[in-house]
Amino acid sequence: MEIISKYMNNIKAVEPRADIRVAGDTIYATVSHEKLRDLAKTIYWDMNCFFRTCAGSDERSINGFYALYHIFGDDHNGLNIVLKTYADPDKPVIPSIADIVPAADWCEMEAHDLLGIEFSGRRQYRLILPPYWPNDLYPLRKEVSYDVKPQVIVSSEKVGFWGKTSTGVAIPIGPYHPALHEPEYFELYVEGERVVDVRYRGFHVHRGIEKLGESKLTYQQVNFVAERICGICGFEHSVCYAQAIEKAAGIEIPERAKFIRSIVLEVERIHSHLLWIGVAVHLLGYDTGFMHTWRIREHVMVIAEMLTGSRKTYGINLIGGVRKDINEDKKQRVLDVLKAVEKEFTELVKTMVNVPQIMRRLKGTGILSKEDARKLSVVGPTARGSGLDRDIRRDLPYAAYGYVDFNVPVYDDGDNLSRFLVRVDEVYESISIIRQLLDQLPQGPIMIEEFDIPEGRMAVSVVEAPRGEDIHFVITGRGKPYRWKVRAPTYQNIPALRVMLRDQPLADAPLTIASIDPCFSCTDRVLVVDKNGYRKRLDQYCIVGDDMLWV
Amino acid sequence: MGLKDIRRSRLGFLRALVIAGRSGRVTRRYPYEEPLVTSDFRGKIDIDETKCIGCGACVNACPPNALELINTRDGYVSLRYFVGRCIFCWRCIDVCPTGAIKGTREFELATNDISDLYDIIVHEPNKCRECGALFSTKRMGEYVVTKSPLAENYVDLDPDCRKSRFLKAIENRFGGRIG
Repeated sequence: MEIISKYMNNIKAVEPRADIRVAGDTIYATVSHEKLRDLAKTIYWDMNCFFRTCAGSDERSINGFYALYHIFGDDHNGLNIVLKTYADPDKPVIPSIADIVPAADWCEMEAHDLLGIEFSGRRQYRLILPPYWPNDLYPLRKEVSYDVKPQVIVSSEKVGFWGKTSTGVAIPIGPYHPALHEPEYFELYVEGERVVDVRYRGFHVHRGIEKLGESKLTYQQVNFVAERICGICGFEHSVCYAQAIEKAAGIEIPERAKFIRSIVLEVERIHSHLLWIGVAVHLLGYDTGFMHTWRIREHVMVIAEMLTGSRKTYGINLIGGVRKDINEDKKQRVLDVLKAVEKEFTELVKTMVNVPQIMRRLKGTGILSKEDARKLSVVGPTARGSGLDRDIRRDLPYAAYGYVDFNVPVYDDGDNLSRFLVRVDEVYESISIIRQLLDQLPQGPIMIEEFDIPEGRMAVSVVEAPRGEDIHFVITGRGKPYRWKVRAPTYQNIPALRVMLRDQPLADAPLTIASIDPCFSCTDRVLVVDKNGYRKRLDQYCIVGDDMLWV
Repeated sequence: MGLKDIRRSRLGFLRALVIAGRSGRVTRRYPYEEPLVTSDFRGKIDIDETKCIGCGACVNACPPNALELINTRDGYVSLRYFVGRCIFCWRCIDVCPTGAIKGTREFELATNDISDLYDIIVHEPNKCRECGALFSTKRMGEYVVTKSPLAENYVDLDPDCRKSRFLKAIENRFGGRIG
């Protein structure tokens, strides 16, 4: 293909020694330390790619090195570009690309915390592990057992501002979000009514899921754990994981299974968007709207239970297909419910936008410009509300999305209203997608059971969740993944909040924070302690300081 | 549907009253009424003691370790199901070779007695006819014989005795010592 050879030429032009391999929609290139930064610049800025994530990996038992995979995505051409860099096993150092690609800031620090890879040319701090976690214990290294419990003295931490640039009075939001019921901690600095700066401290609930998947669980068990990464969009994670393994092992699943996956994914999108719209108007004090969106949502939850067996955490995904079939009777019930939901939702949205306060507080608040959105590689409705036309369902079709027609709503204003409208429109698109899929639902089996998963293969799988794209990167191992890296959409969107909150009135902050539909626990999924058990000054590892972080 | 398509009026928000009046009360008088659970709901599992053979297929499949095989001191093997860890995925039902596990729609599992959350099935172990060691379960032996009648010859031998018998048989055949 033309575009692939263009990429190969461009990579070769910068790094003549690069070892390039193409597998399906993914280009893998192994590059040297010296050229990594130049290549990142070429791919991210010159080739106009988005940054997906980076994943560190301990490959000492395979090739004697640590490795870091930078994953870029070219959505327009439906490609993933993976740059692999090796790091010395005794003193792993890799040049940082966070100043060229601001979106890479967090994932570099994640590799730093969990694998002990040092990044040169940037300020390093602790992001994920708590401050009292031992300095020389890196959980994702293969010699560390999954159930290791270091002796630590637990200490509390205080975000506070030691930085130089922040002024104003600190107002804490958290450590438990009052409306979203999730652990997060924002500190807003206000001068009068105006927010001048924001700090975020998350990762309170790092659960070490990746480590568990790489050591304790088997291939099929990981599906169910992956589904528990998120309480709202769990099925996307389990589909993403299953697809990554299927892609790595070259397993072709039955058509009917693909359709059922897509149908359930869209059911999940509808209930997630209805949930968000309810919470958003609740934050604006319009509880009538909240109650009625959730009343409508309940119908969707019931069909989710009917299609899968559970209201949430559906548990129908396995590598090789799905476990539950859709019969004619269920098909008809889904269509009936969708018809009722569409009618009631339209009526409700019409009522909502006629509430003067709702419109006034949505319009023009929490603005994220297209330039900033691009710089931070934001995803999902946050990107589409800022004029970035990207949707994985259309750009890199997976499951049965190749068989349906749908629009990708894009609004250019970048304010809370744009993000609200993107979600309203997506509810309609999802309803239409489910109808098309049910209409075309092919006959046949829903699962293949006979397959084997060869060792040492890798794959990147991307799935459009209601909040943006989920990314699962896997390297296959014996009976279980060798490396399983998960990136949830909110991971990419939280850094954009600083841009949105700055110079806005404090009263709009709760809605603006909610407007990215944050899912803090998903972001934290991935496991912090001072060697002596003492808390260090926080500016040594927390999200303090402005030089690199959050642009 | 874009914002332009929506006719906006000053009193349009009053429509909420119409919506509320029409939908009425939607909550149920639970627990005095049937809960809203569909027929496809996956709830607690029910293990049939008479069918379980203690093979441990469910233990290997269970993602959250809710099912465990426990060896007690006297050689007895028990299958322990702890509802507190169960994620109700019903993978155990898929993999059970004898169909001993059935799914129920039961979800009201809160209790103030933790022993209510455990389900324990104790299996009598198989005894080796040569060395007397306890291994596996009696039922498992019986199950293997129904699947493959030839197994009757060695099913009551523990793995070590089976191995030494096998080696002896080879020795006899080749007329010398090996291994």
